[in-house]
Amino acid sequence: MTELLPTLPLAIDLEAFASLGFWTGVGILAGTYTIFALGLQINVGFTGIFNFGQAGFMAIGAYSMAILVTDAELSFWLALPIAILITIAFGLLIGLPALRLRTDYLAIATIAAAEALRLFALNARDLTGGAQGIFGFDNDWDDVSDSILSGLESLGWTNPETLFPLFLVVWGVAIVLIIALTALQKTPWGRVLRAVREDEDAARALGKNAFAYKLQSLAIAAALGAIAGFFLALNLRFIIPDEFLPIFTFLGYAVLVLGGLASYWGVAVGSIVFWTLFEGLRFLELPFDEVQIRALQFIVLGLVLILLMAFRPQGMFGKRQEMVLGD
Amino acid sequence: MTEAAPQPVATASPEPPSETNGRPIFAAEDVVKRFGGIRAVNGATMSVREGSITALIGPNGAGKTTFFNVITGFYRPDGGRATFQDKPVLGRPPYAIARLGMVRTFQITKALRRMSVIDNMMLAAPDQPGERLGNVVFRPRASRRRERAVRERAIELLEVFNLTKLAEDYAGTLSGGQRKLLELSRALMARPRFLLLDEPMAGINPTLGRRLLDHMQRLRAEEGVTFLFVEHDMEVVMNHSDRVVVMAEGRVIAQGEPHEVRRDQAVIDAYLGATA
Repeated sequence: MTELLPTLPLAIDLEAFASLGFWTGVGILAGTYTIFALGLQINVGFTGIFNFGQAGFMAIGAYSMAILVTDAELSFWLALPIAILITIAFGLLIGLPALRLRTDYLAIATIAAAEALRLFALNARDLTGGAQGIFGFDNDWDDVSDSILSGLESLGWTNPETLFPLFLVVWGVAIVLIIALTALQKTPWGRVLRAVREDEDAARALGKNAFAYKLQSLAIAAALGAIAGFFLALNLRFIIPDEFLPIFTFLGYAVLVLGGLASYWGVAVGSIVFWTLFEGLRFLELPFDEVQIRALQFIVLGLVLILLMAFRPQGMFGKRQEMVLGD
Repeated sequence: MTEAAPQPVATASPEPPSETNGRPIFAAEDVVKRFGGIRAVNGATMSVREGSITALIGPNGAGKTTFFNVITGFYRPDGGRATFQDKPVLGRPPYAIARLGMVRTFQITKALRRMSVIDNMMLAAPDQPGERLGNVVFRPRASRRRERAVRERAIELLEVFNLTKLAEDYAGTLSGGQRKLLELSRALMARPRFLLLDEPMAGINPTLGRRLLDHMQRLRAEEGVTFLFVEHDMEVVMNHSDRVVVMAEGRVIAQGEPHEVRRDQAVIDAYLGATA
């Protein structure tokens, strides 16, 4: 008995849990995923279109930026808006044929487009570096990061976390986007979006060009995917096709379900809860190796989602009544 | 504006039409819609006089709803022509037809369930610059100004239809009859000149049905709205419409005033039978 006690798997490594480096890393992931899933929210929660290709938009954004900086030798800051425009153009290209399809076919078309893109990135070695990927696009960002770091030091923080500037910027951008999207949702434009979600034919019968609104919604999701892609790239410092596997879109949906549909703030909270749970598991002192922990992450995620469905199906910020009234 | 007018006035018409003598506001010619080998609408030709309340009747499967769907742009036509106020409408998208002032409702109500009643109403208002993304960002004032006017109009209409108390409720919580009223008042928010109602009386109690008919009469009188409605209750059709169009097997087999139509042998054979 006594020999067993020390290995009982429920002790928590509090020291690691309290470490700022850990939280900074989780915070950057959560912020990146918030921006990523805001795109899913405007599509699924507010327009009723099932975009399963968000990882593809993230890929286009990240790769465009990196290629523009390393190959075309553009400034990083100029590459960002151009990459967003390229991603929007790609979104429109997919949307023009695919948004005419029924909901379920749209899901298939978008996931297929995203996968095709990832496989293209894997094989177009001259352009994307193939499996080796691209790096060395973030020098301009490093300058900014360094000046933020020295700013933090002058505020009295000796030896600040090197990734803390990225943490600040990703959440700054996320919060600005949430405020902007929430405001947008309250305009007549946002009302038409919701009408399209509720009943496309009713919206059309009342003089609304439902297709144009779905296209705009997808274009905005694409832009948000691109921005998430920038932060992903800055966080990892290199871009490889594996960062854009379809699983990332599905995890985005998990964030959406956790936070609740039709709430942009819910996306942020959902994302924080998701990544805290997901990464926090690493710091339970469990008698498992790394691979087993990876598996455990998904088991726990599944359990959490099941419990959520049982006790709070509308998610943390969703409205129960809207859920009941939905079809 | 129309309140001062001593008699029903159709604003688009130079002289006030008497109840049944207006020129056609809508005309369809040889409209065809096929589903595979079935010709659901098989060369339908008819017209609706401006300022009239016209009933569209016919046995089940006659193609009434399909005809509605074709002329309002929801189905792509396989042939024919149709004009609304002399503008061609066949083959145009539904939203473009609605914007011309030819607005429809559906047989099964389409309440926007997870939106409030007032939002349902305000959505339908035309000419809201705030529905364009660019205007939302660059001309928020114009959007807000229009929004105030739209809200006022929506509240007025909700009062007319006794829905004021429900304004902030989700439309999905309304009863079937209330949804019918909401759908009609919402269609009116779109400022229609020509309203097409697909079985507006179906599934609601007779009291509410009578109120709906009163509203139609009043809208026609006060605002000169023209109506085309699908209805099965012959008593309603005979007493409340001034024109009747009869469809059977995808064609229009008769049109005219109620008393003419009810004596028409083809109509009796196809639809009315011995009971009428």
